[in-house]
Amino acid sequence: MYKMSEYAFIAAVLSTALAMIGYIAYAVSGLRAARMQTAGVSMGTGTFAFVVGPRTASIGKYATILGLLATAFLAAFLVFRALATGHGPFSNMYEFSIAFAFGILAAYYWFEIRYHQRILALVALPVALALMLYAMSIPSTIEPLVPALQNNLLLSVHVATAIVAYGSFTIAFAASVLYLIQPAGGRWGLPKPEVLDEIGYKAIVVGWPFLTLVIVLGAVWADVAWGRYWGWDPKETASLVTWLIYGAYLHARVVRGWRGSKSAWLLILGFGATLLTYFGNLFFGGLHSYSGLG
Amino acid sequence: MAHNARTRPIAAASAPANAQPSASTTPPATPAVTKAPDEGALGGMDRILEGLWHLLTSMKVALVLILVFAGLSLIGALVIQAPAGVTGDPQAKAEWLDSIRPKYGGWTGIMDQLQLFEIFGSIWFKLVVGALSISLIACSIHRVTGLWHTATRPHVNVGERFFEHAPQHEVIQLHQGADAAAAQVRETFRHHHYRMLSEDDGVTHLYMDKNRWAPLFSLIGHLSLLFILVGAIVGGALGYRDGNFMLAEGASAAVPTVDGAVIKLEAFRDSYYAETGAPADYASDVVVYQDGVETARHTIRVNDPLRYRDMTFYQAFYGTAAAMTVTDEDGAKVFEEGVPLAWSTDDGARKVGTFVVPSAGLTVWVIGTAGPTDPVVKPGQMRVEVYQSSGDGAPVASETIDQGKAVEIGGLSFLFNRETQFTGLSASKDPGAILVWIGSILLLVGFTVVFMFPHRRVWGRIVARPGGSTVSLAAAGRKETIAGKEFTDIVNDVRRAFSVPSRA
Repeated sequence: MYKMSEYAFIAAVLSTALAMIGYIAYAVSGLRAARMQTAGVSMGTGTFAFVVGPRTASIGKYATILGLLATAFLAAFLVFRALATGHGPFSNMYEFSIAFAFGILAAYYWFEIRYHQRILALVALPVALALMLYAMSIPSTIEPLVPALQNNLLLSVHVATAIVAYGSFTIAFAASVLYLIQPAGGRWGLPKPEVLDEIGYKAIVVGWPFLTLVIVLGAVWADVAWGRYWGWDPKETASLVTWLIYGAYLHARVVRGWRGSKSAWLLILGFGATLLTYFGNLFFGGLHSYSGLG
Repeated sequence: MAHNARTRPIAAASAPANAQPSASTTPPATPAVTKAPDEGALGGMDRILEGLWHLLTSMKVALVLILVFAGLSLIGALVIQAPAGVTGDPQAKAEWLDSIRPKYGGWTGIMDQLQLFEIFGSIWFKLVVGALSISLIACSIHRVTGLWHTATRPHVNVGERFFEHAPQHEVIQLHQGADAAAAQVRETFRHHHYRMLSEDDGVTHLYMDKNRWAPLFSLIGHLSLLFILVGAIVGGALGYRDGNFMLAEGASAAVPTVDGAVIKLEAFRDSYYAETGAPADYASDVVVYQDGVETARHTIRVNDPLRYRDMTFYQAFYGTAAAMTVTDEDGAKVFEEGVPLAWSTDDGARKVGTFVVPSAGLTVWVIGTAGPTDPVVKPGQMRVEVYQSSGDGAPVASETIDQGKAVEIGGLSFLFNRETQFTGLSASKDPGAILVWIGSILLLVGFTVVFMFPHRRVWGRIVARPGGSTVSLAAAGRKETIAGKEFTDIVNDVRRAFSVPSRA
């Protein structure tokens, strides 16, 4: 099972990398097509109109298939790893990083299927790939659980919920990056700002209640294992900071003067807090400082 | 409150002020700020109060407060926080500050003045939490009637202009009469789980909505935060917490806050994984006696605390103990228990424990070995230092004793029986926790409902004309959005029902 899980992971890394190349090619050819159109190049000769259009679409389709394949490989990794370890595959930075990458890809495809905005992949996939490469750089050996983590139910649910939240936040981050880099006039063939704004909002509307659940489940677990539901442990605190920033974002969207780019900046800030919460184990110390790195 | 835009989009367009040009420049999705009608007549005090109320109910103020709260918390995550015991004790505080001085250098004093090392007890933190709570209460009061009216008494007649200015609007020309048209619109909307209200003043006004109670769940979500806050305050004020509740094997201690209850550690076991040496399990076998009768027996593990009445015991730490027996000149045992060697000497090499012999008025320190190379205390030995309990705590005598050999020190006979283990438990009682859990459930339920079931509203207007009727439908919310797509879908269904070709 361990071997199987490692093969699935390698396959996932490769297909994510290939999917990323596909999405870049898709974006570049789309950009070229858009530039041709705006530059007023006549489509009368027919060559571009007939070649670029369909080719762009099919490159995108291949990229999507590769990315979905990567998502499936990551799912397979998580299943094999869970079978190999006998608990939810979330007990150290290696397992959690790959699970985080899976969360990003799953959230991305949920949005691609609903909104058909492949351009988001240009931000989301590199983040997922970076997490996978990070995972490759740390030991993958299966080590038995320290006493604090010996609660399979809470370990699995607490962290699985975190993955849904973090995956959604990454999509919101991608949408806000694309929102902010759009020049005032030309749009480089990027999605409309309203669409990006809505994708960001939808991602938070899903992710924020999940983060709330992560924190509540964390409090329940802390109450069982450490004897208090809240203790301002650095990781707890960082998750609260993340929760507050996205809470501020939800308010910002209905306050005049905060809509648009200010809200988008809050999404960037929120993602920064998410990463801080995620990597916090490595430098915070505190009670969450198991990590499989020591 | 994120759904504000959806709950009151029509406020500007539906009021009589509708006819004013401002209605067309203000997007309908923005609630207009209502100004008091007789502002000029207000006295100074009234104006200050009104300004204050305006500030408290301002979402912009709330937004800034949330971000300040986040900023303070971030400091708490990034800056080392003083441990709980240190803050109340000036000497311990000074020592602790010295210990972190290498890290923060000259800033240490300033940071301490700014209370950055105890940010969650600081005046800043209390101010922000207090202000946020007041803002939250004020916002809830400010909005509750509006939300209630939106759910129970919505504006059905929103005026003609709304249908021209709404971000989404459609006009359908029909051959059917107004009544038949209204019935068909109702039917189509029912299909999409919308209800319909109608008014007729020659023109038929329609109002269709779904999930009309969902916005009220936002109030539940917000007020749940107060539950959690109150729970935390109650827990802090009425709770009990001892993070250093130590028991050596065989020793007993009174259960804090529970009369007549005694907890005894029968055995402590720690085990380690063979390959890695990482800890695998810590287990304390304990028994509780209530007035001498055994009432509970449990093995406390890290994820498996003992709950007894309203006290809870958690596995926190452990260590070695020295089983000591002390007898007086008459041979009577004055002390027989394991002494947890829970502290260590300043250099950290030796483990230290202490106990009191009340009958002799003596305080005894037991010092363990630093290892095989220790010249003073060898493995298998304990050093015993005896001091006066009262007065200046003058030293009486000290001796290093071998295991199993009774030695007379200061008029008493000390016997180091053997090395055992002690368990470090955390004993706590938190009467506020229940409020925190109720608040957490309300928080989850409240916001999940708000976001999963957004209130959707569509207004309609049917005007009879010779040979048929004109149906106008309009909704707030942008076309590109999912909500916008739902509107388009429903309108297409309406067209289809009337066999009018749909416009995708």
